[in-house]
Amino acid sequence: MSDEKVNMQMQSTQSVRIAQMEDYIMKHCLWQFHSRSWDRERQNEGVLSKAKQLLCDEEVAKETPEDRCYWVDALSLAEAFRARFSWFAEMDKESIKVLIEKLKERIDYVTISGSLNKELTVARY
Amino acid sequence: MPHHEFECSTCIPERKSHAVVKGEGEDLTSCLPEGHLLTIPGTISERGCAYCGAKHVIGTPMKDAIHMSHGPVGCTYDTWHTKRYISDNDNFQLKYTYATDMKESHVVFGGGDLLKKNIIEAFKAHPEINRMTVYQTCASALIGDDMEAIARDVLKEMPDKDIFVCNSPGFAGPSQSGGHHKINIAWINEKVGTVEPKIMSDYVINYVGDYNIQGDCEVMCDYFKRMGIQVLSSFTGNGSYDELRSMHRAHLNVLECARSAEYICNELRVKYGIPRLDIDGFGFEPLSDSLMKVARFFGLEDRAQAIIDEETARWKPELDWYKKRLTGVKVCLWPGGSKLWHWANVIHEEMGVEVVSLYTKFGHQGDMEKGVARAQPGTLAIDDPNELEGIEAMDKLKPDVIFTGMRPGEVAKKRRVQYLNAHAYHNGPYKGYEGWVRFARDIYNAAFSPIHQLSGIDISKDPIAIDKGFMTRKMISDVKLTPEEANVEGERPYTGDFDCVTRLRGKVYDPELSRNHEPAAV
Repeated sequence: MSDEKVNMQMQSTQSVRIAQMEDYIMKHCLWQFHSRSWDRERQNEGVLSKAKQLLCDEEVAKETPEDRCYWVDALSLAEAFRARFSWFAEMDKESIKVLIEKLKERIDYVTISGSLNKELTVARY
Repeated sequence: MPHHEFECSTCIPERKSHAVVKGEGEDLTSCLPEGHLLTIPGTISERGCAYCGAKHVIGTPMKDAIHMSHGPVGCTYDTWHTKRYISDNDNFQLKYTYATDMKESHVVFGGGDLLKKNIIEAFKAHPEINRMTVYQTCASALIGDDMEAIARDVLKEMPDKDIFVCNSPGFAGPSQSGGHHKINIAWINEKVGTVEPKIMSDYVINYVGDYNIQGDCEVMCDYFKRMGIQVLSSFTGNGSYDELRSMHRAHLNVLECARSAEYICNELRVKYGIPRLDIDGFGFEPLSDSLMKVARFFGLEDRAQAIIDEETARWKPELDWYKKRLTGVKVCLWPGGSKLWHWANVIHEEMGVEVVSLYTKFGHQGDMEKGVARAQPGTLAIDDPNELEGIEAMDKLKPDVIFTGMRPGEVAKKRRVQYLNAHAYHNGPYKGYEGWVRFARDIYNAAFSPIHQLSGIDISKDPIAIDKGFMTRKMISDVKLTPEEANVEGERPYTGDFDCVTRLRGKVYDPELSRNHEPAAV
C-alpha cells in the first residue's frame, strides 16, 4: 500500500473515532453546553484536557474545587470511552493525545465556532 | 438548513425558521431552530409569561413562605390544580395562594396601600410563617408601585419578618424564561449571603434547578444524604427560604435544570467560587453517572456505588419489563424546556421508545442544541409552537403518546392521541430509579390503554365485535412478543407503592457518614 493510501486510511480511522466520541459526548454529557462562547471554551478545555491526561495515565490536577469539578466530568468521560471503544486499548499514548486534541477541535467547532446559537456572544448571562 | 414549514403557518413566514427536521448526518452547525425570541404576532403561542416563570416556576416551590402576587386575582390562576411541587410541610405553598386583587381604582389611584394591607393581613393570618415573596405583575409594574419601599415599610412594623420582592412583570421577557432569569439574579443579589447556615457535614451541596415535582427533589436528596452529603439548600423544590439565603456556603452546586437555574449557579461561581456540576437525574445510566460524579467530587465513590448497585438490582428488572413492551412506541417530547434534552436520548436508550418530535415552549437555542444533539435523525424540532402546528405535527407524525403540559395535552386527547403530563407528571416522581420505572409504567398505560382503543370506535356506525371481550393492556402490548420474550424470570411490571415519597421524610441518616476522616479534605 502506498504512503498516501496509508495516510488516507489513518485519517479515515481517526475521523470515524472522533465521530463516535462526539456522538457519545453529545448524547450523554452536558458540560459542553454552557450558555456563552467564553464559558464553553473554558469548559471544553477544562474537561477534555483532563480526559486526555487520564487516558494517557498522566497526573491530573484536582486540588482546587474548579479543577476537581472538571476532573469528575473528565473521569466519567474517560471511563465511558474506554468501556465503549475497544480501539483505545490498541492505541499508544502519543496517538491518544493527538486523537483527543482533534476531538477537542471538533467539539469546539460544533459547540462554539460553528454553532448557530445566537446567544453565545451575548455579553451578559 | 433543514427548516420545516407548517402548512398552517404559511401565512406567518417567520415561523419557518423555528422548526427543523434533523436529517441523517446533520449536526448543530447545520440544524438548529431559532429560539427565545418574542412570539410572532398572529401565532397563538402556548408560552407562559415572565411573571409566571418567576413566581409559578421558581418562587412558589419555596415551602415556608407566603407568596403574594401584587396584581389582579387572575394572575394566581396557576396553583394546586396545575402545579404539583409538593413539600414536606403539608404543602403550605400549594394550599394557600395570595393576590392583592388589584382593581381599576388601584390602577388609577395607586396600589401601594393595598399591597401593604395585604402583606400585613397575610402575615397575621399565618403567624407561624415569617417569610414572604412578593411578585410584580403587568398591572402593578405599569403603574409603578414601589414594592421595595412598601416591603421596607412593613418590615419596620414587623422586624421579625423577611420579604423578597421580585420585579418580573409578565411582559418582561419573551416567555417564562425571562422570569427565571430575573428571579435568579434578584435572589442572589438580594438574599444569598444574608443567613449563615449550620454546617452539619464535610460534604455540602446546593441542589439547584429541581422543583420537587411529585417528590423528585426529595428522591434525589435521599441519595445525597445516604452518601453523607448535606443538601444545604434545594433551589427551589421543597426549599426553605432561609436555607436558600445561605447558598454561598456550599462546596458544590449540583444543577439539574440549567434552563431555569443556571444563572444562579453561574453567579455563585463568580461571586463565591463554588463550581457548577450539571447532572441528569432521569434514567438509570445518567443518574448513576451523576451520583458517581457528585460522590467523586468529595471522595465518596464507594457510597455512590453501593446506592447504584442496590437501586439497579431492585428496579432494573421492572424497567426491562416495560422496555420490551415499549420498544417502537412513537412519542412526541413536547415539554416546556429542560426535559426535552433530559429525556430525548435516554427514553430511547432505556425504554426503546422512538422520539419523533421535540418542542420547547420557552427554551433557548442552547436547549435546542442539547435536544437536537440527543435526538435521532428524522426528529422534527419545533420552537414555541402554536396550537395549529401541534395539531398538524400530530396528524403527520401519528405519535402514540405525547409528553406535554395539561393545556396542549387536552388538545391532543381530542385528536385521540394519548398524553402524559411532562411538567407535573401523571404518577410521579419520575426522577430516581424507582421514578424512572413509574414513568415507564405511565407511558405503558397510555400507549396500551384499553379505554383509548375503545374510544376510537363510533358506536353509531362502526361494527362492534360482540363475540369477544375487552382487550387488557397486557393482551395489547404482548401481541408482538414471543412467550419466551414475554416471560423472563425476574422481569415484572412496577411493584412499588402508590406513594414512594412520604416514607423518605422520616428517614434517619447516619451522622458518622458526614465526617471526612481522611487527612486531606476537599
